Amino acid sequence: MSVSEVSFWILATMCLGGALVVVVTRGMMRMTLGLGAFLLGVAGFFLYYGSPFLAVAQVFVYVGGVLVLILLAIMVLKRDDTGRPQLTSRVDIATALVPIIVFVFMNQALSPVGEELGVVLGSSDSVEDMRMALLGTMLPQFELVGVLLLVALVAAVAIVVRKERS
Amino acid sequence: MSIVTLTSLLFSIGLFGVLTRRDLIAVLASVEIMLGAANIQLIAFAAARGEYGSGQSLALIVLVIAAAEAAVGLALLVALARRSGRTQVEELMEVEG
Repeated sequence: MSVSEVSFWILATMCLGGALVVVVTRGMMRMTLGLGAFLLGVAGFFLYYGSPFLAVAQVFVYVGGVLVLILLAIMVLKRDDTGRPQLTSRVDIATALVPIIVFVFMNQALSPVGEELGVVLGSSDSVEDMRMALLGTMLPQFELVGVLLLVALVAAVAIVVRKERS
Repeated sequence: MSIVTLTSLLFSIGLFGVLTRRDLIAVLASVEIMLGAANIQLIAFAAARGEYGSGQSLALIVLVIAAAEAAVGLALLVALARRSGRTQVEELMEVEG
């Protein structure tokens, strides 16, 4: 087993384990830790596929930002119980069919494409490529997403600090 | 396990979380899992095709939109919890038409 295979399996285990913990566990803090493991795994996959800049952005934005935001929300709510999904109830078992069907269809649809492409590991000038794309053909999208982020952050502040009327 | 199978599995786990979790924070975390899975897929395909520029740019845009969604979602959650003290999805029936 080569180094790249070993690292792939470590990252896959991290992502799958974290995701399962988020979906199944009852404790709020455990769920947040699981989410942290998943997000770090995603950052690892970015690194694995030759996108170091995105990996760093993922760690900064998610592990450093969103995760802290979620922790803060948990502290504000002062609760530790998320109400575990009642996996034994009939409704939840029926609901599980939907993700299973989605998984089967997605896997069937994308597998041929994945095999056809094959996977090669990263190039070192990926940041340069991204710069050219972001400031070239994708400039309008880049600007729009900046505006969207600004509006979302202002909206978030406005929602939270609005004083109760009446 | 191929990367396609892994990301499909992660996406489905996230979808299951969105459908079955009762608490809003857990639903938001599950949405983050779905977005993360899609992003891994995007980067893997971009790497395989050698198109790092557009693939990474798209992934960065998804990342920013997910961050904005989390910020607004958590702000709404805190506002709801202050207003009614409840964050369970089934209890939030006030805006029902």
